[in-house]
Amino acid sequence: MSKYAIEVDNVKIRFNLSNEKVDNLKEYAIKLVRHELMFQEFFALKGVSLKIKKGEAWGLVGANGSGKSTLLKTISGILKPYEGSVKINGSIAPLIELGAGFDGDLTARENIYLNGLVLGHSREFMDEHFDEIVEFSNLENFLDSPVKNFSSGMKARLGFSVATIVNPDILIVDEVLEVGDMRFRRKCNERMQQMLSGGTTLLFVSHNIEAVKNLCEKAVWLDHGEIRMIGDAQEICETYQAEQERLTKEKKREHREKLRREGKKYDYLIVGAGLYGAVCAKELTKRGKRCLVIDKRSHIGGNVYTEDVDGIQVHRYGAHIFHTSDPKLWKYVNRLAEFNNYINAPVAVYKDELYNLPFNMNTFSRLWNVRTPKEVKEKIASQIADLHITEPKNLEEQALSLVGTDVYEKLIKGYTEKQWGRDCKDLPAFIIKRLPLRFTYDNNYFNDRYQGIPIGGYTKLVERLLENTDVMLDTDFFAYRKEHPDMFEKVIYSGMIDEYFDYCYGHLEYRTVRFETERIPEENYQGNAVVNYTDREVPYTRIIEHKHFEPEAEREAPKDFTIISREYSTEWQPGSEPYYPVNDEKNNALYARYRELADKEKNVIFGGRLGTYQYYDMDKVITAAITDIKKELKIKV
Amino acid sequence: MDLLKYRIKTLFRYQDLIRELVSRDLKLKYRRSFLGYVWSILNPLMIMIVLAIVFSNLLGKNIENYPVYLFTGRLLFDFMKNGTTNAMRSVTGNASLLRKVYVPKYIFTLSKVTSCTLDLVFSLGAMLIVMLVTGAPFHWHLLLMPLVIIQLYIFCVGLGFFLAQLNVFFRDVQHIYAAVLTAWQYLTPIIYDLDKLEGIPWLVVLIKGFNPMYYYVAQFRDLVYYGQFPGMRIFLGGWLIAFLMLFVGVWSFQRAKDKFILYI
Repeated sequence: MSKYAIEVDNVKIRFNLSNEKVDNLKEYAIKLVRHELMFQEFFALKGVSLKIKKGEAWGLVGANGSGKSTLLKTISGILKPYEGSVKINGSIAPLIELGAGFDGDLTARENIYLNGLVLGHSREFMDEHFDEIVEFSNLENFLDSPVKNFSSGMKARLGFSVATIVNPDILIVDEVLEVGDMRFRRKCNERMQQMLSGGTTLLFVSHNIEAVKNLCEKAVWLDHGEIRMIGDAQEICETYQAEQERLTKEKKREHREKLRREGKKYDYLIVGAGLYGAVCAKELTKRGKRCLVIDKRSHIGGNVYTEDVDGIQVHRYGAHIFHTSDPKLWKYVNRLAEFNNYINAPVAVYKDELYNLPFNMNTFSRLWNVRTPKEVKEKIASQIADLHITEPKNLEEQALSLVGTDVYEKLIKGYTEKQWGRDCKDLPAFIIKRLPLRFTYDNNYFNDRYQGIPIGGYTKLVERLLENTDVMLDTDFFAYRKEHPDMFEKVIYSGMIDEYFDYCYGHLEYRTVRFETERIPEENYQGNAVVNYTDREVPYTRIIEHKHFEPEAEREAPKDFTIISREYSTEWQPGSEPYYPVNDEKNNALYARYRELADKEKNVIFGGRLGTYQYYDMDKVITAAITDIKKELKIKV
Repeated sequence: MDLLKYRIKTLFRYQDLIRELVSRDLKLKYRRSFLGYVWSILNPLMIMIVLAIVFSNLLGKNIENYPVYLFTGRLLFDFMKNGTTNAMRSVTGNASLLRKVYVPKYIFTLSKVTSCTLDLVFSLGAMLIVMLVTGAPFHWHLLLMPLVIIQLYIFCVGLGFFLAQLNVFFRDVQHIYAAVLTAWQYLTPIIYDLDKLEGIPWLVVLIKGFNPMYYYVAQFRDLVYYGQFPGMRIFLGGWLIAFLMLFVGVWSFQRAKDKFILYI
């Protein structure tokens, strides 16, 4: 006996397309005269070879019309190959269409017999297994009703039950289990699994790729009658799915392109391709709205933009570490990109000393050479008590009254002064409300449940968000609006709110930072992604070493160079890159006046960090965008 | 030889299916009717009464016991007509099934002719009733009826195969065959007596020589109506034509069967 259950050797199947039409004599005669008869031939299979060993489970994937069913029919003997050969060792149970051959006028009972006999069983055999079939199909109460009154699910149940009473050597299943309820599908799956473990060879066609992955170890990918790929099921399913997705995207892109060429009006013009704008675009597009995203920068992503520099993702606008406690949001972003398990644990350098951040037991034990939280608490309490501050008049006194002398002097003073560009004594107390101290040895900066950085950078994630949206870069909103006032119905504006109103009440203020990025021919410069410099003498506030945001990429492909960015705080002036809104009383009051104007502005939604003049973490800005769009489209939140 | 053995084996394997298909045809025919199978006898009887009334004065004046004469011819021709017509549609009619499961295709053709044979058996019952009522003599030759029926069965299977395969490729065959059947019916001495047909002797010769149905009707009448053994010419001729037709049918069917799937 051969070790193969199925041997398909260079099989070609030819259909004659014209046959469809020529089934009467007149046309036949006409075509015969015109020599058109044998033209228009079509090969459903163009030389397919396949060897399937006994006991293997094979999946067949491919688009509609790729020849899957034709191949199954050839193997089951329904179609004869035009060329090539098919060799089968063993009995076949074909589940090509459940209930094929049911006669609607006959009762279920009669059909069980008829169907069984069609499948080649003897009457005696059917008598023996009748009860078993009825039991599996769960149709005891309908045995004597005509099958024409059955639902498609019921017919499928009856068909599957009849078709699988024997343990065939080869089981052929062609998308038959898509009908039928959950319970029955599970039952069918169990039965197939059971057959598989009993040594049955399985050939399985389904558009449900997950089902193929679960059931099959090998797979064939058919494409226009040819084998595109053959081998491991997991690998093929994944490649196939990726290809399908690519094609779908391509289609969508073409469609978008067409509408763009026709100059069709957009539903929304989104100003700013940052996280806020991109999420808005995705949420709107998903719901059938057509959007145009414009940005005056020459790249998407806004401040989360990461640039790939020879394999290192450089955070161009400062360190961005995604963290959230919202499980739904974490799921949302994980659908867009794969996140690594980066945990932010910055360190602080003060002169020649190094401390862990945030202020935790590691920090304190280094400061005072103590071990227990109790000792630390006593130490801090005694330092605070020595100062006798009752009413903190400025930031320095405020900080001192919260953490005592040592922590303030070494880790807060210099850093804060560099950040604000003036003495702590000259800064108002309200900037620091509380300073969290952690009495555990935990260096994880954030308290959130989920944390990480998208593998391959944020730009990829934003690309995903914008994949079905038209994007125009290097485009200024005000210029665009002037030139194309009729190209859009509504505007979502995530630029500076004061600029929108032409600074009519004056400028809102921002804190801003400047980066000096340098490529260094060293493998590892500082051993951590973020190192803060807390003494005032060092001009920069911190150094970011970008490769440490993606430790897995470095492990996979070590690089002999590194890229660092020194971060400087600079005084903001009109025209410089705005980073952090200064939410003090004066600016908040100014914003409130702009807000009033904004509320009166019809068909414009203001959003994001600059549009609403408030600092957002990444998770918060995504949530805000989703909420805004739901509100806009009047979807219940 | 191996192929033949294999064919016989599959035929044997699918014998239950044939039986089931035949019983399906019978069941469905009378499902939900009051009298059920009684109709199998009643129906030919009623038609026959009508025909006998219509034609006995027209054509049957010189024919003794015209109802029985008519019945014997009509019976066989109806069987042939129904058998071959159903067989002709057997492949195309089961297209949905044949597209999905492998079943030897001839099973359907064979089962159609067979279920019509069962109808014939019921009709024979009706014929016996007519014979009883009209007081026709019962000859021992009646017992030889199966000999003729088997010949005709073989003939019908052969013709059925031929028509079934042709019909797959050209659906026009159905309409053409319906016309052919009408002509054929009149060219077969069912309602008239060929020997008493005057004026066109060449037609009589033609019918006696080349109309297969003449061979079967004549043999059958000899046994049932005249109570005599049929002449050697028509007896042997009947068998010969039956097998010739079977050969042609099987050969043409065999040749075309793999292409069916592309056309149904």
